[in-house]
Amino acid sequence: MSVMKDRIYPVVFMAVITAICIALVSGVFLSTQELVIRNETLYLKRAVLYAAGIKVPENGPEAARVFDERVREVKTQAEQKSAVPETLYYEIVSLGGSIDGYVIETYGPGLWGEIGAVIGFHPDLRTMMGIDFIKQNETPGLGARITESWFKEQFRGKTGPFVMVEEGRSSKPNEVDAITGATRTSAFVLKIINGGSLEVEGLIERGGPHGS
Amino acid sequence: MAANTKVKKVFSEALGSSNPVFAQILGICSTLAVTNKLENTFVMTLGVLFTTSLSSFTLSLIRKWISPRIRMMVETLVIATFVILVDISLRAYMPEIWRQLGPYVGLIITNCIIMGRAEAFALNNPPALSLIDGFASGLGYTYVLLIIAFFRELLGSGTIWGITVFGGWWNNWAIMIMPPGAFFMLAIFIWIVKGLWLEKEGSR
Amino acid sequence: MSTTLAVPVTIFFASIFTNNILLANYLGMCSFLSVSREIKTSVGLGIAVTFVMATTSLLNWLVYHYILIPLNLDYLRFIVFIMVIAAFVQIVEMIIERVSEGLYASLGIFLPLITVNCAILGVSLFMVIRDYDLLSSFLFGFGSGLGWFLAIMAMAGIRQKLKRAQIPRGLEGAGITLIITGMMALAFMGFAGILNIT
Repeated sequence: MSVMKDRIYPVVFMAVITAICIALVSGVFLSTQELVIRNETLYLKRAVLYAAGIKVPENGPEAARVFDERVREVKTQAEQKSAVPETLYYEIVSLGGSIDGYVIETYGPGLWGEIGAVIGFHPDLRTMMGIDFIKQNETPGLGARITESWFKEQFRGKTGPFVMVEEGRSSKPNEVDAITGATRTSAFVLKIINGGSLEVEGLIERGGPHGS
Repeated sequence: MAANTKVKKVFSEALGSSNPVFAQILGICSTLAVTNKLENTFVMTLGVLFTTSLSSFTLSLIRKWISPRIRMMVETLVIATFVILVDISLRAYMPEIWRQLGPYVGLIITNCIIMGRAEAFALNNPPALSLIDGFASGLGYTYVLLIIAFFRELLGSGTIWGITVFGGWWNNWAIMIMPPGAFFMLAIFIWIVKGLWLEKEGSR
Repeated sequence: MSTTLAVPVTIFFASIFTNNILLANYLGMCSFLSVSREIKTSVGLGIAVTFVMATTSLLNWLVYHYILIPLNLDYLRFIVFIMVIAAFVQIVEMIIERVSEGLYASLGIFLPLITVNCAILGVSLFMVIRDYDLLSSFLFGFGSGLGWFLAIMAMAGIRQKLKRAQIPRGLEGAGITLIITGMMALAFMGFAGILNIT
């Protein structure tokens, strides 16, 4: 009998503890889920505004308000099969109502995983409004420096396709500073940006005539 | 009172002679990984503080029912639960920092300090004292990390808590925010602290 | 296309050299510092870590993608991953104990150390965050294990020589080991140029 007890008791105990722990974690997770989703959307909205060269307010609701005012989401059309319309690209509208530019969300391979970026283009679809990175796992201190503002800011107003030059040496409108010690990350980023310029054309075509 | 001296002893050991980081060399992984920015470090240490205190408390509370064979599993489970709670709350309330800490929040689970305190203290002591012990160890970890992060951020980025201290004349020591800098910084810290101890002992 | 194989292979080599789990991600330091005194024990632990890392990265990938994701439970991954690792280590320990006395004596003693080796859990967490596929995850785990093995072997070799050196007293033990680790990290950063994926 006691052998049985010795064997079963730990298993039962473990099961009870596990159940309690999982219940606790699930409860907290579910109660914060809404907030997490809101954070994620806000994060994307901020990135879009940054890529469009619009000053992003510190305060969350304020940023969301500016986003609603200046950005129009263009989704896949209703007749297409997908049940949930996906966002194709974002149109940046000036306060007067004219289109200032387009922002797309795009992904490409990086050294250590996917790099996600939002890139803004002026209406000529060649000149960049700006870029922000929404996802990256590059090497801290090296490749991860793509998220530093000097790197992102240098793209504003430049026209692709871009070529990389040594850090601190760029002078022509199609030259960008690479990151010293992170040549490959820089190359991946460049590939994403140069690809983005082609991608945006296709997306706008798919979005079809609307609102212009 | 006896309880009072016990509490004092717990604190003085955790902060000094048997500090988890520089005396026992535990929890080094996160010491090195998150200390390139003061702000991240601070949040990380809060997470560790929370986890060590509460997991020590919980394990001490149920210590009489844990059979030795599944001891490790139960410890890991309890610690993991608290770590997930930290992760979820960070994600909900401090998304920016959560993003930067990345997988290192999850790695609090394997922070040897927490496991070590559970094994060495919580399983043999009453809950209240275990809570204090866990908290003290967390504090010992916290201040060492903050000192290291302070110097790494200052030398590596010229900033403190994200605020620029050194102007344009400062050439950032990029090495400080990269892995080797972390190893050197911790070694220097240990050297200084141990050197002071040895001197004290010598003069006695 | 050749990239389908090129990426996992690059990840494999990168995780050994350029992004060594110990030297670039600081994981697995605790046992690294305490065990690297002797070459023989270092080899034992190195083999055990490599084996467990490769296998658990595979197991955790399967659990994550076939159980946690479909059930929408990915927020439980910390608990599940560490439990898989703990259970796996326990099972391996039991098997080794029954199968081979010699192997148990030389390898078995390291197994309990492995559950708390943060590098193992780290590999599983990184592979999720970086969206690796099955093959990449396995090679990443395997490569990281080898990288850890390489680092601890090198360190044990250096420490053997250091026994005869005169070191400032304050630096003895952990201090000097950390400085050497820092130098190794610097040296390994030099590998950065050898890998190219385009």
